[in-house]
Amino acid sequence: MEHEDELELIALAKGGDRDAAAELLVTHELMIFRVCRRLLPRGEDVEAAVQDTMLRALKNLAGFTGQGSFGGWLAAIAVNLCRDRLRRRRLVPFLALETPDDDAPDPLAVIPSSEPDPERVAMARQAVERMRREVGRLPRRQQEVFVLRFFAGLDLDGIARALAVDVGTVKTHLHRAVQRVRAAIEEAKP
Amino acid sequence: MNIKHLTDDELDLALAGEGVPGEVAEHLASCVACRRRRDSFLAAVAGERAEDPDEATRERVREGALAAWSGKGRQRHWKRWLAAAAAVVVVGLLPVLRSEFTARPNVNAEALLVEVDDVLARDPLAAVAPAEVVEAVAPAPEVGGEGSWS
Repeated sequence: MEHEDELELIALAKGGDRDAAAELLVTHELMIFRVCRRLLPRGEDVEAAVQDTMLRALKNLAGFTGQGSFGGWLAAIAVNLCRDRLRRRRLVPFLALETPDDDAPDPLAVIPSSEPDPERVAMARQAVERMRREVGRLPRRQQEVFVLRFFAGLDLDGIARALAVDVGTVKTHLHRAVQRVRAAIEEAKP
Repeated sequence: MNIKHLTDDELDLALAGEGVPGEVAEHLASCVACRRRRDSFLAAVAGERAEDPDEATRERVREGALAAWSGKGRQRHWKRWLAAAAAVVVVGLLPVLRSEFTARPNVNAEALLVEVDDVLARDPLAAVAPAEVVEAVAPAPEVGGEGSWS
């Protein structure tokens, strides 16, 4: 969606236009799902967190001034909401990923196993699983920066704005996070 | 030929999307081994999409948020209209209410005082108690009776 089109939709939604609001949500909802899924521990109600993020954003549309991207603004709301949930429940952020729920369905089962090269597919699935586990183990700030960079697609300035920190801080956290996650992924290699 | 590959640090900087020196970018563009390392990282990150919710779930979550939002909006509008209507009613009734609170019955003070004087002249106790109380406490003497002082 073009930036001007998005600004127009935002203006309409601010005036209460439901269709415009729906279109904005459709554009960004997958990003919100990914951010909430990676920032909340397993077992937490991701759908509720996504819906709360959407509602909080719609109620506070007037607060979006147009500085920075709308996606970045939404991502910041999602991050804050996930923080609130963790704080409220006094959860240790990484607990669930360190003690995986055996009853939970294997998220990697959705990757087709009938690919031509089963070994490569198995390796790819292992790499994804390692990536997830390592992201879950990252210190909170590194985790947020990593998620915003790779799952919300924000650039360094956007991340800095979303987390209200300077770009230098973002670089430091992101570099450390990438270092750990990349090392974990490479361990999956034969 | 001994190819010098990217260090972990150089690769991490490139993955993080930070500006990397020209020679690093050039090497990455031409070296299959380094590109493979980069791509395996990006593929694992992209694997996150495998867990994305289906369209039905997305729609349910989205519609729930929209319903809560527009419901709230409607409620706000309803309250706004109610407040406006109440304001109109109050403004319309203001003259009536003012006359109700400020108007006093016309009282002829002179006539009232004359009437009071007349009552007191006939029966002074009527001014301090009802007639039956006065009768109980101080019964009128019977004319020519036993207890009469003559």
